Amino acid sequence: MQPFIYQRAETLEAAAQAAAASRGSHVEAPVQFVAGGTTLLDLMKIDVMRPATVVDINPLQERYGAIATDDKGLRLGALARMAQVADHPSVRRDFPVIAQTLDLAASQQLRNMATLGGNLLQRTRCNYFRDVSWAACNKRNPGSGCAALDGMNRKHAVLGTSDQCIATYPGDFAQALVALDATLEIAGPQGRREIAVQQLHKQPGSTPNIETQLVPGELITAILVPSAPWTRRSLYLKVRDRESYEFALASAAVALDIADGEVREARIALGGVATMPWRAKEAEAALRGRRLDEAAAEAAAEAAFAGAQTHEHNAYKVPLGRRTLVRALLDAARLEIRS
Amino acid sequence: MSIAAPEPKANMGRPEPRLDARLKVTGEARYPSDVPVGNPLHAVLVTSAIAKGRLDRLDTEAARAVPGVVEIFTAENTRELKPLEYTPGGGGASTSVQGLGPDIAHDGQIIAMVVAESFEVAREAAYKVKATYAREAPSASFGAAGLDEKPAGKEFPKAGDAAAALSAADVVVDAEYGTPTQHHNPIELFTTTCVWDGEHLTVHEPSQFVYGLKNSVAKRLGIDPAKVRVVSTYIGGAFGSKAQLTPRTPLVALAAKRLGRPVKLVASRDQGFTIATYRAETKHRIRLGARRDGKITAYTHDGREVTSRPDAYKVAGVSDTVRLYDFGTVATSVNVVHADRNTPGFMRSPPVVPYVYALESAMDELAVALGMDPVELRRINDVTKDTVSGKSWSSRSLMKCYDEAAAAFGWSRRTAEPGSMRDGEWLVGWGCATACYPTHMAATTARVRLLPSGEVRVQVAAHDIGTGAYTVIGQTAAERLGVPLAAVTVELGDSDLPPGPVAGGSTTTASTCSAVIKACDAIREKLVRAASTANDGPLAGRSPSDLSFTDGRAVASDGAAESVADVMQRLGTAALEEYAEYIPHGVQQDGIRKLYSGRAAMTGGPHGDKIMYALGAEFVEVRVHARTREVRVPRAVGAFAGGRILNPRTAHSQLMGGMIWGIGSALHEATEIDPREARYVNDNISEYLIPVNADVPRIDVIMVPEEDAEVNPAGVKGLGELGNVGTAAAIANAVYHATGKRIRDLPIRIEDLL
Amino acid sequence: MTPDHSARPEGRSSPAAPGLDRRSFLGAGACGAAVPLLGAASAAAQPAVAAAPDVRRPLDVKLRINGQDHRLALDSRTTLLDVLREEVGLTGTKKGCDQGQCGACTVLLDGTRVLSCLTLAVMAEGRAVTTIEGLARPDGSLHPMQQAFVDHDAFQCGYCTPGQILSAVACVQEGHAKDDAQIREYMSGNLCRCAAYPNIVAAINQAKSEMGA
Repeated sequence: MQPFIYQRAETLEAAAQAAAASRGSHVEAPVQFVAGGTTLLDLMKIDVMRPATVVDINPLQERYGAIATDDKGLRLGALARMAQVADHPSVRRDFPVIAQTLDLAASQQLRNMATLGGNLLQRTRCNYFRDVSWAACNKRNPGSGCAALDGMNRKHAVLGTSDQCIATYPGDFAQALVALDATLEIAGPQGRREIAVQQLHKQPGSTPNIETQLVPGELITAILVPSAPWTRRSLYLKVRDRESYEFALASAAVALDIADGEVREARIALGGVATMPWRAKEAEAALRGRRLDEAAAEAAAEAAFAGAQTHEHNAYKVPLGRRTLVRALLDAARLEIRS
Repeated sequence: MSIAAPEPKANMGRPEPRLDARLKVTGEARYPSDVPVGNPLHAVLVTSAIAKGRLDRLDTEAARAVPGVVEIFTAENTRELKPLEYTPGGGGASTSVQGLGPDIAHDGQIIAMVVAESFEVAREAAYKVKATYAREAPSASFGAAGLDEKPAGKEFPKAGDAAAALSAADVVVDAEYGTPTQHHNPIELFTTTCVWDGEHLTVHEPSQFVYGLKNSVAKRLGIDPAKVRVVSTYIGGAFGSKAQLTPRTPLVALAAKRLGRPVKLVASRDQGFTIATYRAETKHRIRLGARRDGKITAYTHDGREVTSRPDAYKVAGVSDTVRLYDFGTVATSVNVVHADRNTPGFMRSPPVVPYVYALESAMDELAVALGMDPVELRRINDVTKDTVSGKSWSSRSLMKCYDEAAAAFGWSRRTAEPGSMRDGEWLVGWGCATACYPTHMAATTARVRLLPSGEVRVQVAAHDIGTGAYTVIGQTAAERLGVPLAAVTVELGDSDLPPGPVAGGSTTTASTCSAVIKACDAIREKLVRAASTANDGPLAGRSPSDLSFTDGRAVASDGAAESVADVMQRLGTAALEEYAEYIPHGVQQDGIRKLYSGRAAMTGGPHGDKIMYALGAEFVEVRVHARTREVRVPRAVGAFAGGRILNPRTAHSQLMGGMIWGIGSALHEATEIDPREARYVNDNISEYLIPVNADVPRIDVIMVPEEDAEVNPAGVKGLGELGNVGTAAAIANAVYHATGKRIRDLPIRIEDLL
Repeated sequence: MTPDHSARPEGRSSPAAPGLDRRSFLGAGACGAAVPLLGAASAAAQPAVAAAPDVRRPLDVKLRINGQDHRLALDSRTTLLDVLREEVGLTGTKKGCDQGQCGACTVLLDGTRVLSCLTLAVMAEGRAVTTIEGLARPDGSLHPMQQAFVDHDAFQCGYCTPGQILSAVACVQEGHAKDDAQIREYMSGNLCRCAAYPNIVAAINQAKSEMGA
């Protein structure tokens, strides 16, 4: 870990200002915010991230960490801790997919530490990215190549990849938000703005080092999840080698509005298989207006993975991803929803 | 009695709580890196990023410029370290005693060590050490170009004409199996703290063999071993990884000497993958021939194991598998495959884990081919006379284990057809396999002191790596001297104590307790003589065989008694102390001398007059999701016979933990090696998966009473490495039963079953 | 242990920092929370950090650990784990991976279980740190969870045990110990290589009733 100046931000404005002079992509900026520290400090210890200044934004938790619901939806302060949100009764009742993505992520200790905003921004677990002794990593060192393309890529992505990077987005929570059309409130040196969660992450393309559309100094302050007829019939299915405390090999966040046996609306996001939280709109379209049976679920899954690109050790993720989605859809269709 | 502390059955001691329990639940147990030393410097290792080639240049300028850096050790300034010969089971692997370059022999070889005023500074500077390499293309593992494969020995077990028996067999199974690279990953990291006091060195390091470490460090430093003390009072898990010298220890010692201050190293988790040993990947071809009625007529087993370039480390488990059943004929071979890797080493049940996995999978395949229940197949081929040597067994309770475990598991409700036991969306499979571990004994010493108050102190440089050694050694002394366990203090893990065995080969309890018994008996004899030959005492004139010791008194069969304090007063001594040496039958008489010089002398298993093994039967249920194919193990039952059980509580924990290791071995654990670079990729415990609590809903451990007076004076067979043998085969067999798919390469993963 | 000691143990070359001026506090006072967000221009006009401060100057950090106050001069990089072990001498908290992967370093911060290896010590200021050494009662009697771990042999080597016990205490207090399945799931962040897991579940079941949960 390189030495850094530690600063504590008592206000949002001060935090934004402290980071305003920062340049480059958000993850490469010399000023970094820390809240839970579960990504930043981890990556600093292994020399992947080397900020010169670390701004502690925990003092902002009181103001930007609240959980509120009304009939329009759910408002989650970005500094709320994952565990706190996972246990919130309204979240569990009205947005089960959100609670489940949080419950199934990491461990309770990490969920107690990590904030929602930080969780959205957590970085890939690609071992070639995380180990600086591997020279080739376009994400860490643009233009150096990608050791994973022909390496040990069992856990790497099959959707949204490029010939520069196939690192998997490791999170769970973002899939729920993407599926539910959630938006983010962002504050920064240029002022406030609001974007769809779907817009936050970028595919690697030719710039895998640019992971999100945040600019240096920008902070996620809140997450807004609109109420909709499908939020209660929602779930998250996470498939992994062991029963707990592991990143997904494949996962699916699904939300369904079913009336008279027919799918009125379906919302689907995939995890563990893509370079970013992956909204599967083709799969949603394939379901709309249909009875959700095995064949319909399989057709949707087929559509979701139509563009998949595999490498030596991750070809299984296509059939596994499809089956995960089919299982999630059929399980969601069977849910008993109490009004 | 709780599940954790089972009611003792025949030939079992009391399930006493661990003597070190309170220290371990309060955080007071000091593991080596916890021991406070004055004013330490902190060391961080720098390791190579290539597996083969040369270090062209090592630029330490930027690192030295970091304020707080005191010194950087490299090949240049560590040449005084002496070479050390590779001795499997002794000093250490060649990859453990190599220099810090310029030759690079494996991924993650230590090339520098930064020493600084703080850990933070040392870590920062370590990342600033820049290496330039002349890389050569390495050979990573099986299938790579440039490997060097040769027989691992001159002779391997053979009996009769297996080829002829195979061609005459009614049914033949011919299959290949593979097991992956695995790393021990004890939760405690590889730490070393060295403190010099003049010419005397103290090493605080978690060790499974303090005498071995003491002697090999001394040799590497070129100093008298008498000036080295290794202290390893508590060890945070070991599983074989802390049994040998690793390259770090002499380096830290050298640094501390040169800098005139204690130096403390806590190697990082990823470095642990390359600076110590591991379980190498293996391949197996097995052929089993049988008559239609299930009688096996031929067993051939050809094993191949990866090792480093310089060291022919092998586990060669065929010498154990050939004992398991009445095979009729046997032909075996083992090859080592030299690759550009660090030298592998002992990892919990080294020979039997991979080899028994392969054999017990093949046994299940044979049962399927015969249309026979797998338990019945084992019953038909149960053995009384060893196929290869003709020797008989000292005791063998395999089928008792099968019967007890099968009953507890509900095996009779199994339907044989694969896929026939579905429960909703989950495919259910039941499988079983045999567990075995050779009964080993090692030469050891022990010192026991009895005070008039009844307090007893037992001293031996044996090791409690979580096995319960403190407790069972204490129980043995308490029982033998007739004092309460609370009156016994046990000191282990310090090379200033009389030497004990390496905590390997499951020898500690059998060997150390045998030595303790010997020392206690010598004390008893003195007491008995003093009590019975005195003219005026209550026990005057009694026959020595009439006296026993209980509650701090010598007691005759008619109830006459004299307190130990009085007897000792009669002897005119304030303490009775005895030092004893236990040399197991089959170990050379110089075994103790060797032990003092850091070499373990061991015997047992198939090597004595009798075949000596602990055995068990494991039954597992697996559930495979019909769609997404996750494999889970909701329950497992194991029944084990291991001779005398000194403490059913610690024995239960070891067997249970072993079975969970088996679950990990079957479904989770595998070190990934990038074939292009011969480098470990998932070198952390987020990606190197071991079971978590949620993976283990239910484990039932049954201890089957067994008496064996022939193995050793303690009657103990050793349990630490029994539970994790066979589990992986039982799981693979259950996965076949659930899905109809036979997975022959571990670990069994989702992608194998899609 | 000396409460409120101002110097780190011998051996560190850096002098103790007496005041709080070495750490920047951003925005206290001047930029109230109600003030609208700054534009780029004003941000440039008011740089948060006026002069380049010395990154290596130690921070003056006050920690409350097991009810005792400690004042320490710390490298900003020092984790709570390393402070406990190397500075304060509380070695019950263990380093098993230093990467947030094993749970051995679990401590309670204001009663909540966290990983001390991924917590900067300076970030624990103003919060109550509880380690395994702070769990037993002052008279030396064990916490019900500690006693339950003894009773159920819920460890072997004992290295992960302090983390398991603190995690278990929090698991009960959180209300996540309703049944075996829930205990297993909520204890899965604490790896035990000796694999005492079923005994850990049994211990938690015993302790939870004594803890009044």
